[in-house]
Amino acid sequence: MKIAIAAEGSDYQARVAHRFGMSPYLVIVDLDSGEFEPVTSPGASGKGGAGVQAVVLAVSKDVHAVLTGYCSPVARSHLMSNGIEVVTGVSGTVGEAVEKYKKGDLPKPLEADADRRTGDRKIDRVTLIRAMRSSVRQLTTLLPVMIGVVLLIGLLNTVVSKAVLMSIFSGNAALDTLWGACFGSILAGNPINSYVIGGEFLKHGVSLFAITALIVTWVTVGVAQLPAEIAALGKRFALFRNAICFVASLPISILTVVIFRLVTR
Amino acid sequence: MNKQSAQKSKNIKYLRGTVLFPVLVLVTYGIIFAILPDKAWLALRSSGTVFLKLLQPLACVFMVMLVLNLLVKPAQIARFLGKGAGVKGIIFSVVAGIISMGPVYAWYPLLKEVREKGAGDGPIAIFLYNRAVKPFLLPVMIAYFGWAYVGILTILTVSVSIAVGYCLTVLMRNNSKRRYPHGFEQI
Repeated sequence: MKIAIAAEGSDYQARVAHRFGMSPYLVIVDLDSGEFEPVTSPGASGKGGAGVQAVVLAVSKDVHAVLTGYCSPVARSHLMSNGIEVVTGVSGTVGEAVEKYKKGDLPKPLEADADRRTGDRKIDRVTLIRAMRSSVRQLTTLLPVMIGVVLLIGLLNTVVSKAVLMSIFSGNAALDTLWGACFGSILAGNPINSYVIGGEFLKHGVSLFAITALIVTWVTVGVAQLPAEIAALGKRFALFRNAICFVASLPISILTVVIFRLVTR
Repeated sequence: MNKQSAQKSKNIKYLRGTVLFPVLVLVTYGIIFAILPDKAWLALRSSGTVFLKLLQPLACVFMVMLVLNLLVKPAQIARFLGKGAGVKGIIFSVVAGIISMGPVYAWYPLLKEVREKGAGDGPIAIFLYNRAVKPFLLPVMIAYFGWAYVGILTILTVSVSIAVGYCLTVLMRNNSKRRYPHGFEQI
C-alpha cells in the first residue's frame, strides 16, 4: 500500500508541507516494501491549477492516502472521489508522519465512504449544484461564438449566392473533400459550429463529402491551436499528429458518405 | 503579481476567443444594414429560423452535459490515459477522449503531465482524435444529419483514431529517448 506525503523537501527528514496543493514535493512511500520515491509536485510552480495537477499526480501514483497539513476542499473532493484517503493536520517530518500513520496515531482520515454514508443527501445536492453550474458555464461559453455563426449563416443564406458556393465546391468528390478538410483545419472552436455550418451548407447543395471532411478536421486538426500543442507536447508530435489527422480525414469522409448512401438507398 | 498578470492575459485571450468573432459579425450586420437594409432584415430572419431549429437539440446538449459533469471528473480521465498496456490502454484512451469536455487547450497541461509520467504518444493521439466524438453534442448533429450518418461517422472516427495512434507511435519511435511503458509499444 502506497501513501503520499506533501513535503517541503525530498527526504525523510523534510518537514510535512502545510498545504497539499502548494507543496514542492510529494514523497511516495510504499508501506509494504519500504520503497521511497520523492516526486516534484506541480504545486512547486505556484501556477493556477497546480492543486488539480497535484491531485492527478497522486492519482497516477495509485496511492491509498495523502498526508498533509491542510488540503483545500476542491483538492480533497477530487482525491476522495478517486478513493484516496485524506489525512490533514499532519506535522513534523516525513519519517515521523509515516511512523505515526503506520501506528494509527494520526488524526482520523476524512474517508469518502464515511462522508457519503453520513451526508448522502447533502453531498448529492452539492454535487448536483456544482454540475449544473459547470454545465451552464460550458453552455454560455459556447453560446457567443455559436450566435455569431448563426448570424453569419443568415448572411450567407441571403447575401452569398448558390453560384458562389458552387464555384468552390464543384461537386467533384475528391476536390470537395480536400476543400472541406482545408476549411475544417483552419477553422476552430466548438464542434457544434461545424455541425451548424455543415447542415446549412448541405441545404445549399454543398456535397456531403466536403461537409464530412469539414466536421472531421474541425476537431482533429488544429492549425490555430498548433502553437499551444507544440508547447505542451513537442513540435514533432504536434506536426506529425496534425498531418496524419488531415490525411486520415480524407478517406474517413469518403467512406462515411459512401456507406451512408449504401445504407440509406 | 505574476499570478494576477497570468490571469489577466488568460481573461484577455478568453474574451478575444469568444467575443471578437460575434462582435465582428455584428459590425458586418451594421454595415449591411446601412447599405442594404432589406437584405440585412432577411439575413436576421434567416438566422432566427436557424436558431429556433437549434433550441431543442441545445436543451438535450445541456442535459447530457449535466450528466457527464455529474459522473466524470478530469482527474479520472487523466488517470485513464496511459493506464494498462495494449488493447486495454487503447480502449481507455478512446473512452477518455469521448467523455472529455471543454476546449482542447485546457487539456494540454494535463496531457503534458501524463506524458511525462510515461503515457505513450499513441494513446495521447487517440485521446485527441476521439474528442471529435462528442456525446453531448450528438443531439445537434442528429438534428442536422440523421442517426445513420452520425452512427457511421462515429464508428469510423473511433476506428481510424486507433490507426492514427499507431502511425504516430511508429513515426515518433526514432525520435525518442523517452520510455514507452504503455499503449502501442506492445503492438
